[in-house]
Amino acid sequence: MSNNRVSRRQFLNYTLTGVGGFMAAGMLMPMVRFAIDPALQTKADGDFVQTSQKVADLTEEPVKVDFSYEQVDAWYTSEVTDTAWVYKSGDAVVALSPVCKHLGCTVNWNSDTEHPNQFFCACHGGRYEKTGKNVPGTPPLGPLDEYEVSEQDGFVMLGKKIANTRG
Amino acid sequence: MFFNVKDVQQFQAQKDFIDTALVPLLSLDFNESKIKQSSSSAEFLMSLTAFVEQQFKGRLMLVPPFSYTEQTKNGLAVNLLKEDLQNAGFKHVLFITCDHTWTSNNEQLEVIWLPAIPLESMDSGVKKTILEEQLKQIIPKLTSKWFQS
Repeated sequence: MSNNRVSRRQFLNYTLTGVGGFMAAGMLMPMVRFAIDPALQTKADGDFVQTSQKVADLTEEPVKVDFSYEQVDAWYTSEVTDTAWVYKSGDAVVALSPVCKHLGCTVNWNSDTEHPNQFFCACHGGRYEKTGKNVPGTPPLGPLDEYEVSEQDGFVMLGKKIANTRG
Repeated sequence: MFFNVKDVQQFQAQKDFIDTALVPLLSLDFNESKIKQSSSSAEFLMSLTAFVEQQFKGRLMLVPPFSYTEQTKNGLAVNLLKEDLQNAGFKHVLFITCDHTWTSNNEQLEVIWLPAIPLESMDSGVKKTILEEQLKQIIPKLTSKWFQS
């Protein structure tokens, strides 16, 4: 036993402050939580989707990369497969959306023999440079969209669609 | 383009560019012995046409499938259907089917016939490869049509 003995009054004081503190915290915490809730919510559209493409296997030549995610349309959940044209530009990985900016067909890389090293849309002959910039004089009015790109465990991760930053 | 309000509005605004209609002709057979096979070919045709639509969205409208059974088939006036679509502004009207009976009057109708491949037992990766292979069979038919005009 130590010398400074705790009196009955002190003991009760300490216990009451302790228990009261917990009770106050128990009441205040949910209130605070509710107040700042919007800031804590995770944003679903910021999610990255993993692909089966290894970053190390990428070259300067665009390759087709498929990725799937779940899409909910009212009560109908379906797995949607999307495609991106992915290539390396220096050290950076670039992922372009294959959706033509004219009327939404799917563009292909290097499929037109008359204009090599360009994205080509078979529907109306739209063409895009490798950066996604539309070739003037062809139907498309804007550059191809881009995907946000990140890397995890050596695999390419694709995020949400953004406006082209390279064209 | 699909046959929904959003796409149809775009079609009305861009008739110069969206000049092709793709009509699936879907054979249904409710016979005990054939119903499973019939559903399998329907599934294949629907998946394939949706894939074609995705690739050529800006030039082609995928019309809802025209379905018939053995008995109702004769009532299906495909020639008139083609006329209706042409009057609506589609320069090219193509039919696509897994039913080989359509191949006999191919000349005037322009029917693309494909053998049905049972997709139900495949996982999604294989399914996609198969559909891509099938698409490669269709692309030349579409592009030759488009280059004619």
